[in-house]
Amino acid sequence: MAGEEDGEFYLRYYVGHKGKFGHEFLEFEFRPDGKLRYANNSNYKNDTMIRKEVFVTPAVLRECRRIISESEIMKEDDNNWPEPDRVGRQELEIVMGNEHISFTTSKIGSLVDVQTSKDPEGLRIFYYLVQDLKCFVFSLISLHFKIKPI
Amino acid sequence: MLANADVEEVDFEPEEDDLMDEDGAVDVDASPRAPLPKLKSAITGGFSFANAAPKKTKGRGFREETDAESNGRMAGRFDSLDSDGGPGPERSIEGWIVLVTGVHEEAQEDDLQNAFGDVGEIQNLHLNLDRRTGFVKGYALIEYGKFSEGQKAIEVMDGAELLTQTINVDWAFSKGPFKRRNLTRRSPRGHRSRSPKRRF
Repeated sequence: MAGEEDGEFYLRYYVGHKGKFGHEFLEFEFRPDGKLRYANNSNYKNDTMIRKEVFVTPAVLRECRRIISESEIMKEDDNNWPEPDRVGRQELEIVMGNEHISFTTSKIGSLVDVQTSKDPEGLRIFYYLVQDLKCFVFSLISLHFKIKPI
Repeated sequence: MLANADVEEVDFEPEEDDLMDEDGAVDVDASPRAPLPKLKSAITGGFSFANAAPKKTKGRGFREETDAESNGRMAGRFDSLDSDGGPGPERSIEGWIVLVTGVHEEAQEDDLQNAFGDVGEIQNLHLNLDRRTGFVKGYALIEYGKFSEGQKAIEVMDGAELLTQTINVDWAFSKGPFKRRNLTRRSPRGHRSRSPKRRF
């Protein structure tokens, strides 16, 4: 799979909004040296910011690249995706091989939002990839720190 | 950043399959030259890929100004477990985590229990699903209570066959950053083989 094995790699995902509980967001990133960072902020019930970081092995980064490669997200474009709005915003930034994407869109409540958008095929790829990446990161963080993400 | 010169030079995985082997190495020192384009993240704080060819960029994220708030988002202290920062696997809070890749999409938890339960008691098993298909995504995370159990799992199961697919097994967490080596090349062998492989 192109881009899976060679070249550099960086991944960042952000989802958040500003509301009556302040700026609530979730963000994680994999850095090229293996550092995985995870932050989750909610002021709901005076919750405090969770910030965790740990180094992962090349094997973990490789699996992350595989998930991204197989999704073919790098072929997509956010041109016709819903713009971030008051409800919230998502950002997905990936550097892989000689490509660098930085996509932004609104929050996606369900597949209905995907289907009614101007680019359902591209947005569907984004929608599922984000879930698969979150799932991977939550497992890593919860196993390492024994906290429940979100 | 804690990364000191000693740590930088240490290759945390003395084996051959390190994905960061190719040229155009990522330089974690992030020297300020040729920062094109900068990553938007606040976390990385102007981090850039030194020695890298210009990237094809795509997306609205490049056309937006990074506001001060997003810069502060990931700033500040991040918690981590105490670590001496050296090479080698990092202990997690309740045990040692190994990553299994190449897992068959129809694998069941029982298949992994059977294959990985012999080397030690599995404390935790995450066999995550592909959100679109509902099949197994292709990896599993397994927690053992003891280092020796995780190590044994890697020795015995890395390169083994599980439901007709070759799986790879390695530690999930590391004590410190890794750096691609400049001189070594990926081995033509697809994976490490230390001992006769088992089939499941």
